[in-house]
Amino acid sequence: MDTSPGKIRGNSWRISGKKDILWLLVWIGGLLVLWVWDALFLNAPAFEKIQTAFLNSLWTGLMVVVLALFFGWFLGVGLQTLERSESTIWYTLASFAIDIIRSVPQIILVLIGYVLLTLLLHEGVIRSTMGQLLWIAFTIAIAVALEVADTVRERINYFRTLDFVDAMLCCGISEQRIVNVEILWKNSRSHLLYKLIAIFGVSIFLQCSIDFIVSVGLSTDVSLSNFPMTLGSLLANVDSKQDILALSNLFTDPGYLPTIVTTHLQGVSVAICIVFTLICVYMIANGFVRRHKLI
Amino acid sequence: MIGILSTLIFGREGLRKKLAVHGASLLFVAVIFGIIILMLNTRRTEQRELESGVQTYLDLKDVDLGDPVDRAIFRESLQVFFPGRGGQNDSLLSAIDDLRQRQFSNPAYKSGNHLQGLTGAVIAGLSGMYVQFLAVYLVVLVIIYFLAERIGIYRFVKMKQHRESYLAQFSEQVKRFQNPVERKNRMAIERALALILLKATGKGILLAVLFSPAYVIAYAMKTTVDTDSLFFMVLLGVLSNGVLIHTANRFFTLLVAESHKGYVQTAIVKNLAASYEWDTRDGISRRALLSVRKGLGSHVFQHILLNAKYQFIPTLKEHASFLVTGLIIIEMALNIQGHLSYELLQQILYRQYDVACFIIFSIFFTVKATEMGIDIWYEREKRRYGY
Repeated sequence: MDTSPGKIRGNSWRISGKKDILWLLVWIGGLLVLWVWDALFLNAPAFEKIQTAFLNSLWTGLMVVVLALFFGWFLGVGLQTLERSESTIWYTLASFAIDIIRSVPQIILVLIGYVLLTLLLHEGVIRSTMGQLLWIAFTIAIAVALEVADTVRERINYFRTLDFVDAMLCCGISEQRIVNVEILWKNSRSHLLYKLIAIFGVSIFLQCSIDFIVSVGLSTDVSLSNFPMTLGSLLANVDSKQDILALSNLFTDPGYLPTIVTTHLQGVSVAICIVFTLICVYMIANGFVRRHKLI
Repeated sequence: MIGILSTLIFGREGLRKKLAVHGASLLFVAVIFGIIILMLNTRRTEQRELESGVQTYLDLKDVDLGDPVDRAIFRESLQVFFPGRGGQNDSLLSAIDDLRQRQFSNPAYKSGNHLQGLTGAVIAGLSGMYVQFLAVYLVVLVIIYFLAERIGIYRFVKMKQHRESYLAQFSEQVKRFQNPVERKNRMAIERALALILLKATGKGILLAVLFSPAYVIAYAMKTTVDTDSLFFMVLLGVLSNGVLIHTANRFFTLLVAESHKGYVQTAIVKNLAASYEWDTRDGISRRALLSVRKGLGSHVFQHILLNAKYQFIPTLKEHASFLVTGLIIIEMALNIQGHLSYELLQQILYRQYDVACFIIFSIFFTVKATEMGIDIWYEREKRRYGY
């Protein structure tokens, strides 16, 4: 392996041009360091809980990304098709409905999803943890899919101003193929990927917030306590809250830091997981934009 | 007068159409929620009548229907008074059991507002909370708008100055430290290293605060600061949940996109001031950036800024909606009694869905009103710049 200064400088240049990759590595590395630290200092049951909560949150976030891509793509292309069709009534109705959904704050949509989940749990329609996570992901995806739909429409509208769409139409290529394959798949993947990275961050934020709120505010409702463990619900746990409350000791006694990172580890680890993930996702998205020159 | 106002607001066909769509969606949602509230109220009235009938038996003096002996006597009494109606008597006993169970287990019954519904008194109470929510929202929105612009500009200027990252600066200083020629300057290098570390740590802490969900910050400060105050809520609304950083990032993106346009390159070629050094003759003045009104004179950035600001206006709609999400999270997560979103959570808990619908509609109205305001503002700016 060549480790000469020239080679190292070359590698550092290569990585500095790929800040998204760098931040992805920072995220994975940071979480690994936290995992090792927790393995050393945190008690086994709490360590187990944190791992489960993180994996559940991560898994839900990924499901949100996939579902949002599916819904957003379908909505964007569907609206575009309706807009160009002869009958304007369906386009007007669809735009009207989307306009209403856009004006409902995302957290309200997700909260309504949780209320419905409670009812479904009561009725026994949803039983498994996987089913619950899927429902949560579905709800969040509905709330964020409009962002993907906007990107899809933006890209299609942009390409329609160029000659190549007309040229392809003249060559006999179907409009659906031009939109789905030529415009979106071949020429808009970077834009969509950037949007999906940002959506992953938003989904983690929404999921943690709603789980925290539900665990704190609706915890007296029996069925709600049966929700799967996520970072948000674990943070709302009494032990975690005590750990976070202990952080205020640092304002008066900075020497308390070693105690925080060794004995108040459950809450602090969860908070670090959430905040660190949000920062890294933001940085990855920004780095991605720069690398692919999306602005 | 009305004509002038109408021209000022509805000056263009596009705006009139936009406002009509907003108005129609408000009306549509109001009708839908109105129907839901009416249906729930009707059901509640029926339930109230049924329960008041059952409650009469629960209020019987010296009769404890939880006691098996009293229950048996009550059942026999029913058979004596209403012979041949065994089925109805059993239904009554079952209704009594059901109500007793609800009174013990349902939190809404414990708090005494199980059958209250959306009354005038409830609406009056909610109105006060709504005004408070609106005030906090508007203050936070204005602060975020101005701060996001300043942060976006600062980031843009820093980018144009081609400053190296803290890591690169640190590595540069370490190299100097190791260089025997620089041995005399070791104290200065050590100071520079400490300063870079301090700045990087400060930036890290700031980023952690800006990206933290509000409840993490609030709980971390709960024992030292009064987290229930309005001031703290405004502070959380501005600094937490990533709202400020995302809004600033959007403005920064617009500045970068604008700076790539042809007219900027032409202006630079034609010798318009284009240096991004702080406080130099053809550079950028720090003071001008801080003051809201003051321009940057003949600097090329003045034009980039004006165009980016114009494009920034419509994007505020989505940021406003995200800000409302942030404020709802703050109020719900901190469990601050007497706040609109906390009340929403409580009403969902007590299954008072009509009251919850009313609160959701008020939040929807806030977002819609903001969107309408932004559309009017954007239209006015459009006309001002002759687009």
